[in-house]
This record gives sequence, C-alpha cells and structure tokens, in this order.
Amino acid sequence: MEFPYGRAPLGIMLLAIVAAGVVLLSGGTKNDQPFDLIFVTFTKEHAAAYQKALPAFEAANNCRVQIQVVDDRALQSRLQSAMQVGADVPDMVELQDGFMSFFTKGMLDDVQFRDLTDRLKSSGLYDQLVTNRFSKWSSRGRIFALPHDVHPTMLAYRKDIVQQLGIDVNKLTTWDEFARVGREVVTKDHDGDGTIDHYMLDLPIDGDVVMQLLALQRGVPMFDADGNVQLDNDAFVDVMCWYVKQIQGKDRMAFPAGWGQNLSQAMIDGLVLFYFCPDWRTMQFEFDVPSLKGKMGLMPLPAWEPGSRRTSTWGATGLAFPKRGRNFELAWKLAMYLYYDPAQLGPRFLQTNILPPLKSAWTQPQFSEVDDFWQISLGQTFIPLANDVPPAPSNAYHYTAVNKMSKAFTRASRYYAEHGEQGLREVARRELQQSAEEVRAEMRRNIFLQEPAAKQTASAAAATSAEVGR
Amino acid sequence: MTMPPMSSVRPPPPRAVPDALSAAADVGPRSDRGRRAYQARTQAAPYLFLLPYFLTCVVFFIYPLCYAAVLAFYHTDGAVRKVFVGWDNFRFVVTDPDFHRALRNTILFTACSIGIQLPLSLGLAMLLNQKTDRLKNIFRLIIFAPNLVGQVFVGILFGMLFAPRFGLFNKLLQALIGWGLEERWLADPVLVMPAIVIASLWLYVGFNMIYFLAALQNVDQSLVDAAKIDGAGPWQTFLNVTVPAIAPVATFVLVTSTIGSFQLFELPYTLLQNNNSGFGPDNSGLTIVGYLYRQAFESGDLGTGAAVGWLLTCIILVVSLVQIKLASKVGSER
Repeated sequence: MEFPYGRAPLGIMLLAIVAAGVVLLSGGTKNDQPFDLIFVTFTKEHAAAYQKALPAFEAANNCRVQIQVVDDRALQSRLQSAMQVGADVPDMVELQDGFMSFFTKGMLDDVQFRDLTDRLKSSGLYDQLVTNRFSKWSSRGRIFALPHDVHPTMLAYRKDIVQQLGIDVNKLTTWDEFARVGREVVTKDHDGDGTIDHYMLDLPIDGDVVMQLLALQRGVPMFDADGNVQLDNDAFVDVMCWYVKQIQGKDRMAFPAGWGQNLSQAMIDGLVLFYFCPDWRTMQFEFDVPSLKGKMGLMPLPAWEPGSRRTSTWGATGLAFPKRGRNFELAWKLAMYLYYDPAQLGPRFLQTNILPPLKSAWTQPQFSEVDDFWQISLGQTFIPLANDVPPAPSNAYHYTAVNKMSKAFTRASRYYAEHGEQGLREVARRELQQSAEEVRAEMRRNIFLQEPAAKQTASAAAATSAEVGR
Repeated sequence: MTMPPMSSVRPPPPRAVPDALSAAADVGPRSDRGRRAYQARTQAAPYLFLLPYFLTCVVFFIYPLCYAAVLAFYHTDGAVRKVFVGWDNFRFVVTDPDFHRALRNTILFTACSIGIQLPLSLGLAMLLNQKTDRLKNIFRLIIFAPNLVGQVFVGILFGMLFAPRFGLFNKLLQALIGWGLEERWLADPVLVMPAIVIASLWLYVGFNMIYFLAALQNVDQSLVDAAKIDGAGPWQTFLNVTVPAIAPVATFVLVTSTIGSFQLFELPYTLLQNNNSGFGPDNSGLTIVGYLYRQAFESGDLGTGAAVGWLLTCIILVVSLVQIKLASKVGSER
C-alpha cells in the first residue's frame, strides 16, 4: 500500500512515532526510583564525603540512598519550580546560604519544607548545636533546615611576606590598626616599577558579602530576628564609611582580587597579603594553591573596638526536607547519621575542614590534628571562635536587601572617590536609609507576610504537631 | 462503461492533481467517491502536518502568554497562593527606581548595539565581499566563530579577560596606551556597560555580518557597473545602489538586533555573576529581562514578573513598528 502523501511525509511521520516512543520509554525508566531516599546537594565536596559514609547506613537500614550533585543556582530554581507546580522533589536537599529566602515568601503554612522546630527542641538536639546557626534556616521563629556548619571566619595571610615586611599580626587587633599598617604596605614600591607591589587585603569593590560579614561582626545583620530591615543602622553606616576608604583614593590599602584563579594568583604573587577565610575556604585554598604550603597563616579578624568580637561568619549549608518527600523518618535518620554522628564528623572534618555545629563532636581527635598545608591544627584554631559566631537571621527579602545595600555602597563609594571624606557619612547614611526604605516597600507589598507573625507561628506549630502526631 | 453526464463533472480541484489521477477520477460514481476522499485528504494534509506545531504553539506559547496576562494582575508570593491585586504590579514596576535603571541600561545598550554593531558588521561584510581577497573565507569563519559559543561562554570568558591586573584585556590596554591595568570593568558602575557592549560586539558582529554579506552578494552587479560608467564614485555607488539593494536585509537586521538587545539577559548575568547582587554595582548591568528575572525568580513574585514581561512586549512592539515604518518610509523615498 502506498502512503497517499508521498515518501517524505511518511518518513517524517515514522520519525515522529519513533521519537515519541523513545521519549515515552525513557520517561518510564526515569520514573522508576529504585532508591529509598534521594539526597541532593550543591557541592561535590559534600557529596564525596557523604558517599564514603553511605554504605554503612544503607547496610544498617536495608535501604538505598542516591546522592545527586546539582549546581547551586539550578538547584534553587528547579526546586522552586518543582514545588510550585507539584512535580517530584528530592527527599532531602542541602540549601546554600540565603536560599531559604526563596522558599519563605508566603505564609508559614505554605513553606514547602517540613517545620523541624518542635522535633529539634523535643529531641534535645537544639541545645546540643551552636544555636546561633538556626537563625540562618528560620522564618518567623520556625526552623526549616538543619545547620551543617558554623563557618567562623578568620583572616588568611602570606606568612612569609608578612614576616619579611616586619608586620606583627598579633598587634593587628583592631581594624583601624590593620588599615594603618596596610597603608604603609601599599606605599612601598620595592621594585621601583611604579605599580603597587602589595595590597594589604582582598576586598570586593562593591561591598558584596564582605560588607555583610563586617556588619555581622559588629553584631548587626541585615534583618533582625523579627524580620525588621537594619540596613540604616549606625553600624552599617560605620562599616560602609570604613570600607570605602580602604578601596578608593590615595589611602586605600585593599585590592579586589576576586575569586578562584584570580585570588590564587594574587596570593601567589603576593599582590594581596590577607583575605577573609572561613573554615571552608581553607580547604579550597589547599586544593587551588598547593605551592603555598607552609607559607600561609591564619589570624582572628581585627576587632571594631578593642576587646570586641574577633570573628564573623560567611556562608552556610542547611539540610531541608521537602514536605512531599517520601520517607521522612528514614531521611531524618540519615540526617542524624551524616550531620550529627560524632564518629562521622571527626573524619569528615579532615576531608572538608568544615567545623560542624555539634559541640560534643569537637572533642574528637581529628579536630586536634595538625593540617599539613596550614601547619597548625585548624580545629583548635576555629573552635575557640565558634561560640562567638554572630547570628545572621534569614529573611525572605535577603537578596533584595543585598542588592539594595550594594546600590547604596556603590553610590557612597563613588562619592568618596569624587569628593573625599567630607560629607561621606551623610551620603552613606542617606543612601542606606533609601535602600532600607526600598526593601521595606517591597516587603509591604507582600500581603502574605502581613498576617501577624504570632498567628502564623501558632498555625504552623499546630500543623507540625499534627504531622508529628501522625 | 457509462460515461457520467457532463453536468456531474466538477471543475478541476484548485490544487494541481497529476493527469493520470485526474483521468481516473472521471470514470464513474465509485471513482467519484474516491476522488472526493482524495480531495478531502489533500485539503486536510497541510492542516494535519501543521497540527503538531499548532498544538505545541498553543501549549507552550499561547497558553503561557494568556496566563501571564492574567497572572500580571495577581500577587503570587509563595508557592501556593495568589491574590488579585488589580493594576498594583504594573504600578509598582513603573514607579520602581530599579526598573527605571533597567530601562535606561537597556536603551543605552540597544543604542550602542545598533549604533556600533551594525555599521561594524556592514563594514566587515563589505571588506569580505571583495573578490580579490583569498583569505576571506578564513576571516569570515574567524569573525563568525564567536557566535558559535553562545552568550554564557562569552560572559565567563570576558569575566576573566576584564580581571584587574591579570586580565588579558587590561594587560593589552596597559601595553597599548599605558592605562587600564587595574581598571575594574565589572565593578565600576561607569565601566560595566562598556564592558557588556564590548563583549556583545565580539559575539554578534560576525553574526550580523553574515546577513549583510549575503545581501551584498545579491546586489545586481550590472547596476554597480552602470553607476560606475555614469561616473559615480564609490561613496555615491554605495549610497545610491548598494544601500537600496540591501535595505530589506538591513531593516530585518535592525529590527531583530533591536528586539535581541531589548531581550538582553544571559550576557550581563554571566559576565557579572561574581557580583553578589547579580547585575553589577548600582545595578549598572541590570536590563529589563534581568529585572524580570529578579522579580519573578529571585523574589518569587511571578505576578510582578508577568507584568514586566507584558511591559517589555509592548515596548518591543512599539519600537519595532516605528523602525519598520521609518525603514519603509526611507526606502520609498529612495
């Protein structure tokens, strides 16, 4: 029989039928999930560490667990979309710092992660961890993820060059002293080529995360625990004025070395002497620049006032459980095993250099071992700072605030470059006030956040109790 | 065999039918039914072949477009709920200073893109249209090649090239004019837009050049020769012969480049990815689509995102219509 429309249309039709068949068959294969749990993370390092620990858990619980690594931005947007349309979600998912904001824009009942507050408190786990870390994963007083880390932040520096320049890091106890010494370093042109040999510190030109970090060190996050914007707080004005003077004009002592290879090269060349280094960055640097082994040092952040806080925090990971995940009890068990089993945390610290929030784990011998690259015990270096890490409450408008703060920062910075210090404080204050107002205006538009927090909290707590009861 | 009465013989179908089939259709009532079935099949065929495209278009284009129009009137924070808010989303967008900034940036980029990119593309096309140059094919490939890699790659690549002190672009500037080694192209609000324009030139000049090259190769050589015989110089020949001949293609390139420029997103997004606020200091790299992305997918407010999308559609529609109108007016005057 001859196809009435000719051979070409017949070919196209057959191709379409075959393609549709292949798609249907492959779709069917995808939906078969032989795993009891699917755990998604955004870092290869975490995945590698968990993979090592999984066989024992699988054998003990007679289950199969799959760990998937997904790029952080893709993870956030795909998870957000999946939750909005009711598509498949993983059973457990690691979120990056700030990403909780994407999921807490609506009413508390609508947050698509399980509320862990009551379970954490009734099990006693809440008090065993560094409690400040829960603020990163909370909304309106309810906790939606387990903290993975503490991330105390120090300054890493080129020990050899700093010694050659005659700098005593023990005397760099305040930021003003640090900046004074930095200016001396920047003015020296040892090779006489007309370009600056060394900058004291790596500082992003647009404020970026370091502005937040420095304000946090002063105890002022972008939002307080009640969700109020604090960008126009005096502490932000002070930090901004100090910061812009370090990156602009003749008295600057900092250089924006950037990320990855650029920062590595800047450190290798000695172009930058100090950079902000939370615990996770120590391992990154070991991998990126092995040639600097033995030449690097760590020191606490200089304080804003003599005797005040010598650390801050940068970054975080939290483990959340989507409400539509399949086997919550098994997932919780795995979370306890991977996150809060001291026997797991010791060896993992050697793999990642990341300090866990479970305080009782810090006595494990691995936390006292001397690191080959840094030639000090990283555990004993970071642990004394851990309890001093400031809380950094999460907020649904986190990224809006970051963006508005960056805008204020850039304008103040430009003002300083053009007019100098005269009037800088007024400009910084005005710009920060405007930024804060813009954030507040956006928050006021969110009618789902207008419902009194107490009512929402009570409603969410009731829902959780019902869930736990089931 | 009885021949059918002449009155029952219908006029030939509008579509061409092979003679043999036509003859076979005129041989009796049974054949008449067959002919009608064949005609029905023939007439239905185009629609059947269009059906998959039409369905796809309805599901992935028409429905989302209509849904976005509805969504633009709702507040949608949160994953589950939406509340009707009337024109509030539009009101917010048109009064938001960040949207004003995004609009200014997009218009600036479009102006630079059209004002620099198209003349450059045309110039390169004319150079490569010379018959004497043996290396022109290699140059065509080299100039077009950046377009093969896409905006994301270019964004990441130029992010490295523009790095202060270590970036090749900065080193080149320092070597050539003694300035630029420590310029912060991606962190200085004044330099961000030039950086985006430079990266986009590298990416798109070759792409538009191909269109112009194709148009130039179709210019009637006899008209060019006639103009030369009449004593026209190269500039007069270009203005009075070449430009009218390539005008339709130039209009097409102008309109598509304008639409593309208004939709700019990936390049600044990837170029400025290390910037925590996403689109450069003081939003200096924020475009309208970037603003849409921020509202819809970073703030999670799909309603406001939809409102921005419809505003953008209106802007593009108006600008494109004006361009087409102007181009046709200029063309008719010539």
